[in-house]
Amino acid sequence: MPIQTAHSPSSLGSLVERLNQGRPELQQLAYVGQTQFGPKLRIERFRMGNGLSILLVEEHAAPTVAYHTWFKVGSRNERPGKTGIAHLFEHLMFNETEGLAAGEFDRQLEELGAESNASTWLDWTHYDIAIPSAGFERVVELEAERMNHLVLRTPQVESEKEVVMNERRYRVEDDVEGALSELLWSTAFELHPYRWPTIGWMSDIESFDVDDCNTFYRTFYAPNNATLVVVGDVVAERALRKLQDAYGGYTPAPIPDPPSVREPEQRGEKRLEVTKLTPTWKLNIGYHSPALHHADHLPLSVLSEVLFGGRSSRLLKTLVRDLELASDVRASLSPLADPGLFEIFVSAREGVTAERLLEVVDAELDRVLAEPITDDELLRATARIELSLLQGLTNNEGKASTIGFYEVVLGNPIAGFERLAALSSLRPDDLTVVARRYLTRASRTVILVRPQTPSEPGPEDDDEDDGDEPITTPRLMGVRA
Amino acid sequence: MSASEPLLLLERDDSLPVIHGGVCTRSGASEDPEHLLGLTRLCGRLMRRSAGGMPAEEVDARIDRMGSSLGLDSGHGSTALSGSVLERSYDDFMRLFEQILVAPGLAEDELERLKRETLAELTEILDSDQQLAQRWFLRSLFAGHAYGRTVIGSEKTLQAIGVADVRRCYERHFTRQNLVFSFAGAVDRDRVERASRAIWEALPEGGPATPPPEEPSAPKGRRLVFVDKPERTQTQILIGGLGTHPSDADHFALLVANTVFGGTFTARLTQEVRAKRGWSYGAYSSLGYDRRRQAFSMWTFPKAEDAAACMALELEMLTDWWQRGITAEELDWAKRYLAQSQAFSCDTAAKRLGLVLDELTSDLPKGHYDRFVASVGDVTLEQANRAIQSRISLDDLTIVVVGTHGAIGDGVRKVIPELAGDRVVPFDTE
Repeated sequence: MPIQTAHSPSSLGSLVERLNQGRPELQQLAYVGQTQFGPKLRIERFRMGNGLSILLVEEHAAPTVAYHTWFKVGSRNERPGKTGIAHLFEHLMFNETEGLAAGEFDRQLEELGAESNASTWLDWTHYDIAIPSAGFERVVELEAERMNHLVLRTPQVESEKEVVMNERRYRVEDDVEGALSELLWSTAFELHPYRWPTIGWMSDIESFDVDDCNTFYRTFYAPNNATLVVVGDVVAERALRKLQDAYGGYTPAPIPDPPSVREPEQRGEKRLEVTKLTPTWKLNIGYHSPALHHADHLPLSVLSEVLFGGRSSRLLKTLVRDLELASDVRASLSPLADPGLFEIFVSAREGVTAERLLEVVDAELDRVLAEPITDDELLRATARIELSLLQGLTNNEGKASTIGFYEVVLGNPIAGFERLAALSSLRPDDLTVVARRYLTRASRTVILVRPQTPSEPGPEDDDEDDGDEPITTPRLMGVRA
Repeated sequence: MSASEPLLLLERDDSLPVIHGGVCTRSGASEDPEHLLGLTRLCGRLMRRSAGGMPAEEVDARIDRMGSSLGLDSGHGSTALSGSVLERSYDDFMRLFEQILVAPGLAEDELERLKRETLAELTEILDSDQQLAQRWFLRSLFAGHAYGRTVIGSEKTLQAIGVADVRRCYERHFTRQNLVFSFAGAVDRDRVERASRAIWEALPEGGPATPPPEEPSAPKGRRLVFVDKPERTQTQILIGGLGTHPSDADHFALLVANTVFGGTFTARLTQEVRAKRGWSYGAYSSLGYDRRRQAFSMWTFPKAEDAAACMALELEMLTDWWQRGITAEELDWAKRYLAQSQAFSCDTAAKRLGLVLDELTSDLPKGHYDRFVASVGDVTLEQANRAIQSRISLDDLTIVVVGTHGAIGDGVRKVIPELAGDRVVPFDTE
């Protein structure tokens, strides 16, 4: 039987006062307030004297805890020549610390029965640990240790660089879709750091040394650049006391602002044709799209569902079912702090060219402008989005990931529910408006992939491994397969 | 199971207004005739698309309108039609389910369309080196056995499937005797029982449960299959043989031993291949099962230049594990890890339901998961090391490499001692 602990703001205020007694300023907690998270849970927000943000949800349905640490640093904080350092560093965070020999961090987590993972993307780095609740306090100690006491040595850095280069081969070099996405983003963006891949260019990864890694660590890994999200079978008082003990000794650091780069408006279609070892033609299109905080993002995400979400969506129905031109059709709208891409990927059936796919995609997108979305299409799209959000919240890990993501990108941990609530006020015309605004040919980049059969030699100027024209992949990079 | 009652599993959880579930057959693609491989999968998909004789577009639109998802998972031993639905649409969802299970149209034109889609899926697999490695590994290890046969089918067998075959398949698998209804989430028993019973009562009784396929046996000797694909900067390597089934007395002993060898991030394989040498982004070993023993396998994906050295290291580590076993310290650690991490196998209603369903469809000993922690705790060092030697064969190994043969083929072959068979297959061989 689930037990919900109801804290009133006044009781938590008193709790914080009690916890702060006799502690130095850096360890002092401030109770910021509580927010309803869905129908049954509440997020309690605290801030430590050193700037560390803490979001806590008591949820006792299962004897487990999700302990997530988010840093506001991703590949957008890098610079040319040093691309991929945020992701490489995420790997290195599982290495030696002042108090733990190499390998000991993972070993101790596994002894507790914990599952750990990490991911880096354009705007953030995320470390997540799922633990049986009995191991909570030890996990706090381990996470706090690596936030401030990581030890970086040449052998570990060199070995991890090899791992990351192998990850790159896996995700990009030998993966048609990964290579395409990289090419799409690096072509679509000219100035913004989103143009380079989160995993980094191979030559940059090869060149990193211990100094690069130490500089990155000391610049971005500080309590005032981190948010802890704790969801699960913990009791607030005990959890907060432990967090004060573990993190309270750390001092804040001056965190550089992320580069403020405004991508110039694209005024003409960019189109490339490349050849890849793949059995059928592929088509990848990227339209410049609004940032997650922008009012247009939600209607555009619904439009994406209308067009590409599920088998009854317009493009899947037309391309896969009615005309039988494609075997796979997908789209994604990037949920980023700055404007990103609305990305479409289509894999053709044998004998169908990417030009033909593009004709059909264009005709369908033109139809959106000419014929309004129906109420039924809108209903189907919003129902799918609602299901998707709720499915992501079935366990503590999902809740913590949702809370942390919206907190780090939007500063609002309940934005997922707010977006859900806003769906009911959308009208079909709202979708037409954003289609007209964003799905314009002048603002898009189109990559056509010609299949190369095994017996055919590839062109000499193949796009892969071309140092002058690097490829980029701003997709989510997980550290552990 | 009483013949007068549907077999129904329910894990109630009202924390979110969502319900997961569906039906699962206790038979699967193992029963597909040799010349009609892919039949069961095709049948399940066609049922979904032709519910109540509706056009597929209408079925798809209904699924989306309800805020639901509904998919097919077809395996050798079972086939599951399942999904998720918003609580407010549960009754509609079950009405659609009834139409899928009781009155599928199974129309010929839709079957032909589905076959063309499936052929396109087969073409897509050629883009995935990982899937190619798995396909050839299972095909080689289980040659001549049901587990070596494709669930999705081949061009030839798919073309041979007609509506009459699909109807026979439907009538064989979707019967009262053969179905398990299972749901987790915000729904009460009365509501689930009412809807499930309505479906169950409209189905034929059906024949007795199919016995599992015969026990597989591994090919003799060390056999290399090199799947030749041009321009690979990296290789996919799978090495293995047969593992255990949870009904085997030494299953938990081998599970513990494998955890030490390659079951976690700090296991021997990951440490030596990834952490110390950086040769592969992932390096794991695993034990699979169906209604019978499935594969024990090691998986790595080093860059092409490191493939031979990585292969040599893996074989050396496998030999060391077999000859010297694991240590008492490693045993204690693995037991603690397996016992503690079991919390994540049952931390949601859907996962708990999945465990019960697994027991039923994979012929696990009753209470397998209830006793999991105790069974792990009972494993002794002697049992773990004996299980390695009795279950893992150093002599009979299936080795699959996906890579560019001209660049690394000879090097890889040279590092495999006592190679009994060696063949190269083009990656686009069906």
